[in-house]
Amino acid sequence: MKYIITVVCVVFAFAKAIAQGPPITADKPIMLGGGSFTIKTLTEIRNTERGTIVYTPIMLHYLPTNNILVALHIPYTTYNLRDVDGSGLADMKIMGKYQFYRKDGTGKTFRMVAKTLQTLPTGREIDVMDISTGKYTGYYGVVAGLETLKYGISGEIGYNEMPDGTLDEFRAKLGFGLPLLKPQYPNKQLNLYFEYNSVWLHERDWYQLLYSQGVQYALKNITFDLAVQLPLVQEIDADRALNYSVFLGTRYTF
Amino acid sequence: MKQITIILSIVIGLFAFAQADAQSKKGRDTYEVQVDGLGCPFCAYGLEKKFKEFKGIKDIAIDIETGDFSFSYPADKPLSLEQVLTQVEKAGYTPNEAKISRADGEIVTTKTAGKLLNTDLATSKLYVNGMCGMCKARIEKAAGTVDGVASALWDVDTKMLTVSFDATQTDEKAIEKAAAAVGHDTKGVTASDKAYDNLHPCCKYEREI
Repeated sequence: MKYIITVVCVVFAFAKAIAQGPPITADKPIMLGGGSFTIKTLTEIRNTERGTIVYTPIMLHYLPTNNILVALHIPYTTYNLRDVDGSGLADMKIMGKYQFYRKDGTGKTFRMVAKTLQTLPTGREIDVMDISTGKYTGYYGVVAGLETLKYGISGEIGYNEMPDGTLDEFRAKLGFGLPLLKPQYPNKQLNLYFEYNSVWLHERDWYQLLYSQGVQYALKNITFDLAVQLPLVQEIDADRALNYSVFLGTRYTF
Repeated sequence: MKQITIILSIVIGLFAFAQADAQSKKGRDTYEVQVDGLGCPFCAYGLEKKFKEFKGIKDIAIDIETGDFSFSYPADKPLSLEQVLTQVEKAGYTPNEAKISRADGEIVTTKTAGKLLNTDLATSKLYVNGMCGMCKARIEKAAGTVDGVASALWDVDTKMLTVSFDATQTDEKAIEKAAAAVGHDTKGVTASDKAYDNLHPCCKYEREI
């Protein structure tokens, strides 16, 4: 306990002054200028009581203007589950975001975006949430975030609808980002992330509250991300429970 | 003899390089904009990237703490203030005061671009308490938003704010009030405790009681 308090104090002592980069498992409302592309990947190794799934998406994000984003996620997955194993294309996703509110100040900004994520049934029907369900889902939500030179906070709330399945869910995310190095441009940063992800699948009466601890190394237009996600609360079928997820990713903007 | 020849070659080379550098700077306009919304270095990258659409842009510098953004651009294809401010908007940020220093010596600012009624400006030096670069950006921005103020420059060391303003539109008291409203005490106006408490920790100057 003493060790944990010391670590937390050290982290906050270093983090009190400066800035950060984009969140890892949560989403952000800030868009990096019209006409820019970002290519990113965030591999997830998900270990559950049912088995292990490795999910590797290639994500292409494009901003036609400074307040609109469109994205295509092409994922590949390998799974070794109790009842099935194999590999192949997972459910592809198309994302759209529209920034409808912006309030800027010196060294800070608050923004809100409307977000939709359309999941196409291109994966196998193996009932792996967010990865491969073989069913169409449509997500609609709002992302808000405050980014200052001292810290970053982002939150998201939304609803995911699956007309032909039972994975309808209410989703909420909350993320905090803290920098460990002095702000500078061009960037050279080490950021810490504390992210919470809450999922309620009302048709199955499942609930999960997950915590992610992430670290990010950011240079001018590239980041390297690492996060570990653990369940804090898990009220789902015991044979489907999440043990942990590990995220490894990088993103490059041009 | 060989050594003398080498030394002479180096000296001539350096002289030629310095002259070429001076000439290249001479033929360029300098642009400065104070930009709001740069909450992180990635935001600054988005801004820089957008301005790189102006082919020939050089000497880009961004201070993310103050939002000061500057660059140079060839004088033979000058950008207007409006083009610069629009480009900041297109990048997704909010432009404040901007200044163009043309290679021929002409100065264009957002204030001189048409907002002032009187071109015969008064200049005053006002004491404004503060600490750092962030204070500088905040004080100059606050003073600059007062109608009639053409330019505002605050010195971190002397804590003096030099303002040029149209005396038919504003006065020293109004400028002092603007600085106090964002948390900075002046000789004539004291900031409220709430405004002072809202300052960034590094800007918490010692108040004179």
